[in-house]
Amino acid sequence: MKIAVQNLSFTYAEHKVLTEISLTVESGNFFGIIGPNGSGKTTLLKLLSRVLRPESGLVKLGERALDSYSQNDLAKVMAVVVQDTFAGYLFSVEEIVMMGRTPYLGRFQAETLQDYALVRQALELTGCLELRQRKIAELSGGERQRVMIARALAQQPKVLILDEPTAHLDIGYQQEILDLVKRLCLTEGLTVVTVLHDLNLAAYYCNELVLLEQGRIAAAGSPADVLTAENIARVYKTAVLISPHPLLGTPTVALLPSKRASLPQQKKSRIHLLAGGGSAGELMRDLREAGYILSVGVLNVGDSDWEAARSLNLPLVAEAPFSAITAEQHTQNLRLIQQANVVVLAEIPIGHGNLLNLRAALTALAEGKAVYLLEENVKQQRDFTQGEGQELLAEIKQGGAVIITEKARLYRALAETL
Amino acid sequence: MKRSQKTSLFAALFAALFLTVVLAAAVGAVAIPAGVTLRIILSQLGMPWIETGDIGRNTEAIVWSLRLPRVLLGLLIGASLALAGSTFQGLLRNPLADPFTIGVSSGAATGATIAIFLNRLSGLHFPHMIPLFAFTGALMAIFFVYNLAKIGGQIPVATLLLAGVVVSSFLSAVISLLMVFAGENMQGIFFWLSGGLMMRSWTEIGFVMPYLLLGFCLLFAYARELNILLLGEEAALHLGVRVDFTKKLLLVTASLLTAAAVSVSGMIGFVGLIIPHAVRMLSGPDHRVLLPASALVGGIFMVWADVAARTVMAPQEIPVGIITAFIGAPFFIYLLRKKKKEIRL
Repeated sequence: MKIAVQNLSFTYAEHKVLTEISLTVESGNFFGIIGPNGSGKTTLLKLLSRVLRPESGLVKLGERALDSYSQNDLAKVMAVVVQDTFAGYLFSVEEIVMMGRTPYLGRFQAETLQDYALVRQALELTGCLELRQRKIAELSGGERQRVMIARALAQQPKVLILDEPTAHLDIGYQQEILDLVKRLCLTEGLTVVTVLHDLNLAAYYCNELVLLEQGRIAAAGSPADVLTAENIARVYKTAVLISPHPLLGTPTVALLPSKRASLPQQKKSRIHLLAGGGSAGELMRDLREAGYILSVGVLNVGDSDWEAARSLNLPLVAEAPFSAITAEQHTQNLRLIQQANVVVLAEIPIGHGNLLNLRAALTALAEGKAVYLLEENVKQQRDFTQGEGQELLAEIKQGGAVIITEKARLYRALAETL
Repeated sequence: MKRSQKTSLFAALFAALFLTVVLAAAVGAVAIPAGVTLRIILSQLGMPWIETGDIGRNTEAIVWSLRLPRVLLGLLIGASLALAGSTFQGLLRNPLADPFTIGVSSGAATGATIAIFLNRLSGLHFPHMIPLFAFTGALMAIFFVYNLAKIGGQIPVATLLLAGVVVSSFLSAVISLLMVFAGENMQGIFFWLSGGLMMRSWTEIGFVMPYLLLGFCLLFAYARELNILLLGEEAALHLGVRVDFTKKLLLVTASLLTAAAVSVSGMIGFVGLIIPHAVRMLSGPDHRVLLPASALVGGIFMVWADVAARTVMAPQEIPVGIITAFIGAPFFIYLLRKKKKEIRL
């Protein structure tokens, strides 16, 4: 069932909570509402489920205005799972789920066999069948959440609304609950609208997202459109790293914990990083935070350093995936080195394909640039070229590169020289 | 609760009810064998083939005109208070709510006192004046207590009890003041206030019956909603319950039952508090079982409390409110001291 929201506004205690919200949730979609605390997510959900009435604007559920439904008719098409504020502790699971049949039962009508069958089905779908005789008070948080979803399903809704269904659950239960809802969305054609705090969960499960900021829509669309580093930096005031999920390809959001306290803000000097193979993510973050102007090369497309450099918006030289560095990219790399004050050679795994990155370091030394060679894990085998790499490294060391055994030392050394 | 369990629970309760009526009518200053009371009751109920030739007119009068109305009134009052208590507890989601603790009884008593006072003072009288005044007083009390106790849509135990105490104390002061004004007529008000079933006849039963029947029917009709409201108002809304309407209807109905009970028997405390808890242990939380079972147990309890009231210090009668308080107060303390988790609804 489709939900259409037009110009919805809501004011609470003279504070404008939502302003001119318009959105459409297509039938069968898994629709996520995200945003920082106080951005109006829960208020929007309460307006969609008619707990609150909008000050202006219109919500349409299917072909009809939300307002035109009787409370009972609404309960037949829309089920809502609110955050766990469960009372009714002495009821059994089965009794609680049977309450989902209320909208279909007359005042003095007893539950029919069909109602029992539907309750059983809802219990089965949510994996609660074994729990049915247990009292609510005896259940864990995850089990209670499943029971609430079972009760919602017993309503045979077309639309399921969830308010942070995974709050306070550990990751096993988070996945279990969302997998369940996703399955229902796919198999039963249920339209799902949920508030999610966790951006990664939102990216994995939702096929459409709306990002709220201070009661307005900051971004809307597919997770890839909405979950960009720029959007999140703007709305959450937090720098994050966005990279594709290794298996799913959906955007994943990684925090970049700040170390700013230990790193002084620096003048704008240029540093070129020779990196690759996931050796320099932290370096890029730290050096950029310290205020240096960074460039990176030569990276293979798809490599995690390439992802990191891209999401930090660094100028970089990139080679085709799994390909040896070509002369063309090498030249580009040298050009960036020329512009830099200092070159840092990260502790990259060395293969035949990236020997040119080592040669680039030699060229830099020959041109009189300071080169810092990072060697934190000397014991770890990183030369995969039967000695050719080792020889080049030895040459670099002889050529006057500064050997650094710890990143912190590098930062200190850079701070002193630049 | 399984269907078979329900059946045996109600079979046991109805058997206890039958025994209570027959035995309670047999006990008293003049001891009458239970077999005799049974025969009198049955013959009066229109079974002329029951032999009553050997029973004296006096005995028959004692059973049918004195004791039986009192027993039946006890049943009705006990049932009303227990039903009102179950409803307040479920609706306010608060295990310590009952007509007495939340000030509704005081409100009804104040209303009734004002009615009696006006009647003595100015001769003002109209049909059902006392119950209507009691009902108005009860509604005003619940309105005040509810709004005093509400914090962010919730009614915490502590604030509810505090609000109940505040409103009750204020209303006691009002009643005392009226009694001072009433002067020599004070005796009547005092007698009625202390709570008892003395000198009640079939007239009083006919008098409160319509209110009680209306109240019983409404509460039983909304038992399913009461269950759902236990899950919280928002959850109830999502299950199709018209929460605001239902809440108001149930609060008014429970207040009506309290007012009707108070207007014939004065203030009888603790019945509405302890009976629902005791019954919940047997019946579980489902109001479709809890409400009728509470009504039956409340009625039976009240009849025996009244038997104690009229026999313990015979020929002196004790107000029945004293008996219920002696049994109820320790139970109340027990509930207060139990861990919060354990007194769930």
